Parts: sequence; structure tokens; C-alpha cells
Amino acid sequence: MERKIKDSALSRYKKRMFILVVVLALLSQLVFWEFIRHHPTGVLAYLLAVLPALPFIGIMATYALYIAELRDELVRTVVKTSLLWSIVATLSATTLWGFLELLANAPHLQPLLVLPIFGIFLGIATALVNRRYE
Amino acid sequence: MNNRLRVLRAERAWSQADLAERLEVSRQSVNAIETGKYDPSLPLAFRLARLFDTTIEAIFTDEK
Amino acid sequence: MNCMNNPAVRRYLWRFLATMLLYIAFLVLAVWIFVHYHPAGPLAWLLAFLPALGIIAQIAAFGMYLSEEKDEFMRNLQIQALLWGIGATLSVTVTWGFLESFVHLRHMDLILVYPLYCVLSGLALGIQQMRYR
Repeated sequence: MERKIKDSALSRYKKRMFILVVVLALLSQLVFWEFIRHHPTGVLAYLLAVLPALPFIGIMATYALYIAELRDELVRTVVKTSLLWSIVATLSATTLWGFLELLANAPHLQPLLVLPIFGIFLGIATALVNRRYE
Repeated sequence: MNNRLRVLRAERAWSQADLAERLEVSRQSVNAIETGKYDPSLPLAFRLARLFDTTIEAIFTDEK
Repeated sequence: MNCMNNPAVRRYLWRFLATMLLYIAFLVLAVWIFVHYHPAGPLAWLLAFLPALGIIAQIAAFGMYLSEEKDEFMRNLQIQALLWGIGATLSVTVTWGFLESFVHLRHMDLILVYPLYCVLSGLALGIQQMRYR
């Protein structure tokens, strides 16, 4: 499958960085769990709570950089199309679940899960869009 | 991408808005193409060339 | 920057209005039935679908605009804004999620995600427009 050959060394680098950031995210989770056993409060608690969010934002930033530096037009089209469809799916799903929570007593969905849900939709969308361009 | 759009426009005394209207795009698009901030797609490049009665290569150059 | 000259934009504005009215109507209906009849089970699920359908219709209207926009540069600007929007929105949900877990911030209503996204994408579009004036 020709499309598996990505652009260049640059995008390979981005992928590695992506993996690094994911590892960092998991690591910082562990560190934070340790910390939480000592029960900080006040402003410090808020700051600590936000800390694990940063690697996740970093992951998204890495992906954004990858898109920006993509040279292959077709790959860029596939990526953008997949992202747009994932956005549609995620927004629809969260809105639907939100109303189910309000009106039908559905269990509360953690906002933390929105990012992985988006990721799953992105994976599905990418596979489908790639198939369209085969 | 470097281009001669400004020159070609001046020859016909067209403003960016005039060119935009003829191309059926927004003035921002024309400005972005002219200043090299945006490379037009192939169909749009062809429309530009037809409009100025010339070839794409005569308008755009990929030299730095 | 006269957007109203653009037929795709005009069509979108009408569709947006229509779907917004649909959403409001469905929302009012659903809430009214919920308050007066307290349905449960599958009926309640059906009820929740109504306003969500309104939102999905609104999203579809924008999707139609994107595919009908002939000006490729403007379409690219919109898409860029949409992508920045999702990045910003997901950052907010992740941050709120952690705050919810660790400092017990109030539950984030999931129905907020869509309006939040619209606001952030709109902001992103505004910034993009300024850069490419």
C-alpha cells in the first residue's frame, strides 16, 4: 500500500515525538497519583490538577505540527478530511450523550473521555477516507 | 509561490477586487495568492491563466 | 469583505436559522414533556434524541456550506479555524476533566461541548481573517 510510505524523515520524527509525549503523559499521571495521596489544597491543588492536562495538549500540538509540515497533498487531504468527520462525530456524540444525561438519566460521561473518543473516531475516519482514495 | 499577478493586473488597470469578481473568489483570496501566502489549486490556476490569456508558467514561477 | 454576495454563505445562513429554530422547538418540546410526564426508559431516550437531532442538523448545515463554498482559499481558512477550534475545545475538556477528578470541580455538562466549539472556532476564524486581510 503506497500510502503507508509517509512523507519524509520529518514526519517520522514527529511520530517519535508523539510516542514520547504519550509516554510522558502516562508518566505524569503516575507522578500525580503519588502526589494526590498527600492531599494538597487551594491554588496549589488547582495548579497540580492542570499539570497532567499539559502533555495531552502537547500531543495535540505535535499532531498539529505534523499536519503543518506535511508536504504530500494527498496525505494532507486525507488527514484534514478525517479530522473534519471526527469532529462531526464527536460533537454529535457528546451532544447526544449530554441530552441523554439531562433527560434520560444516563450515567455521567467524564469530560476526560472526550479526547480518546475523538481519537477513536479519528482512527475510524482515517481508515475509511484512505479506503476511498485507494 | 512567486507570481506576476500584480504586474498583469496593473496592465489591465484591475484592482484586486476587480480580479476577484472576475474569478468569482473573494478579494482576500486574490491578495493571498498575489503575496505568495497561498498557492491556488490547479483548476484555479488555469482560470487565472485563461483570464489573462496566457499560460500558468507565465504567471507563476517556482524559483526562490 | 461582503460575505452576503456569496450564495453559499447566504444559503448557509438560511439553513442555520432553520436548524436553530428546529433545535429550539425540539428542545422546548422535550423539556416540556420531561417536566410534565417524567418519562423513563426507551421513551426518555427518544426524547433526548430530539434536541440532539437539531444540533446534528446544524452541524450538517455547516458541512453543506463547506462543500458548496467555491472560493478554495476561504474554504481553507474555514477548515483551519475548525481544526484550531477542536484543538482548543479538546484542551478545555481535558483540563476540566482533570479538575473534575482532582479538585472536584462541578460536572461539565456535555451539551456545552458544541457551543464551546462554535465559540472557539469563531474566534479562530476571526484571528485568521485578521492575518489574511
